[in-house]
Amino acid sequence: MRKRYATAAVIGVAAALLTISGAAAFDESKYPDWGGQWKRPRGVGTQWDQTRPSGLGQQAPLTLEYQAILETSIKDQATGGQGTDGHVTCLTNGMPRIMTATFPIEFVVLPAVTYVHFEAFMPRRIYTDGRPFPTAEEPSYLGYSIGKWLDTDNDGRFDTLEVETRNFKGPRTYENSGLLLHRDNQSILKERVFLDKANPDLLHDEITVIDHALTRPWTVDKTYRRDRNVLWVEDNCSENNNHVVVGKENYFLSADGFLMPTKMDQPPPDLRYFKPVQK
Amino acid sequence: MLDRGSIAAVALVAAMIASICGAHAFDESKYPDWSGQWTRPRGLATQWDQAKPAGLGQQAPLIPEYQKRLEDSIADQAAGGQGLDTRYKCMTNGMPRVMAAIFPLEFVILPNMTYVNFEAFMPRRIYTDGRDFPTDEEPSFMGYSIGKWLDTDNDGRYDTLEVETRDFKGPRTVEFSGIPLHDDNETVVKERIFLDPANPEVMHNVITIIDHAFTRPWTVDKRYRRIHKIIWFEDNCNENNHHIVIGDQNYFVSGDGYLMPTRKNQAPPDLRYFKNADGK
Repeated sequence: MRKRYATAAVIGVAAALLTISGAAAFDESKYPDWGGQWKRPRGVGTQWDQTRPSGLGQQAPLTLEYQAILETSIKDQATGGQGTDGHVTCLTNGMPRIMTATFPIEFVVLPAVTYVHFEAFMPRRIYTDGRPFPTAEEPSYLGYSIGKWLDTDNDGRFDTLEVETRNFKGPRTYENSGLLLHRDNQSILKERVFLDKANPDLLHDEITVIDHALTRPWTVDKTYRRDRNVLWVEDNCSENNNHVVVGKENYFLSADGFLMPTKMDQPPPDLRYFKPVQK
Repeated sequence: MLDRGSIAAVALVAAMIASICGAHAFDESKYPDWSGQWTRPRGLATQWDQAKPAGLGQQAPLIPEYQKRLEDSIADQAAGGQGLDTRYKCMTNGMPRVMAAIFPLEFVILPNMTYVNFEAFMPRRIYTDGRDFPTDEEPSFMGYSIGKWLDTDNDGRYDTLEVETRDFKGPRTVEFSGIPLHDDNETVVKERIFLDPANPEVMHNVITIIDHAFTRPWTVDKRYRRIHKIIWFEDNCNENNHHIVIGDQNYFVSGDGYLMPTRKNQAPPDLRYFKNADGK
């Protein structure tokens, strides 16, 4: 499962040149102040395009096949299922959905890497040290992100982080309706992250998804509001997750600790591996 | 569940003072080079004291009540159960166990904060901005960590990070055998983190646990070796986790997708909430 050492050997030379947190001088005045905690705008849910309702209301430019998958997912959810939303099992949301900021996120800007910290997942690393995409990296839900700082107004200070992310595994969705990215996992995500010119407590992440489930690139402007009253909470998804998946069926644990159906007339799990109960 | 807003309001003053990622100059030459990826020494498993075998071999200074719990945990694991270890449910290990570096760690040093990044969990934040412990922070498995940099050899560069961590919730164990920390969660964890003077590719984390489950403070020297060829993996514990807990019973999902027992003669789950509850 883990090809850590084999993969490490392949990129060894490049990696040896990289010092993420070394002893080089770091002139923070060259970078924007993205300090604090970033949250979804007040009143906005976790839909992908913040300006539209979730599900069919997103008007995602899906191919016919993936439009049908979305519609089936929504119908399944309406009858108690989870559709194509994998987060019910506490699976990471992956990119791009993780940038919805379901819970607050943090940016830690260093010269060679910008970290995006979450409350539930490992950090996202956006490498800004000039490296190319690796050729032998294990695919992941977060993908591999390479960024470039821009000084768009030529004032001597970077203001915009351009990011490209590739090398995914799946399944991945944009939102809880089950809007699905293509199963070939060849998505390419392009982001432009910058502070709003009129309001430095508002961050934009313009995200363009290029994916074979789409008929054209799909761009949305995700906005986050800054909270300087920083408070981090552990999001241990597994801690109180009452969803139970057995085979292809999703069940629920009742408050009194018994397995229960999530759909009308759902059959119980097959107990063939248990000895018959003595009555 | 979490009253984030109200807690944030109370923490306002302290948080306003703390600018984690501000625009101040950062003289990295004042701090040690802890770059790279830190892993357990070769050949070592994930036992707490790296110098001793896991379980009873750790000789943890447990009070009789908690020694009994450990023995019961080990006996349960021998019978197919999980004992006191909750990690099989993909629960975070929490402090101090998370510092066992089951998978590699990363330290990111900033003047006001040192982050410890993991492959499976949210980062650990060690505040070094002089703040006090908050009085009303939500308890967590990671706890709340305050650190202080020391220049022990007076060469003008910090070399040691002293950390104290409090404000826990539980249950937490120090290793997979189920060595328990006290249910009162009043644990205090003290750490001294520094590079080995003879080998800068080895890091020491001398961890002392003060806990009511112990007869005395318990100190171990956790060591990590540095990897410069950095590869990060996503550790999505839930991705292929076949353990299922129903009520107080742990079951397993077989490779062909059926529920199966984890112990000899284990009863199947009670299906009283299903219409056709005979499981056929």
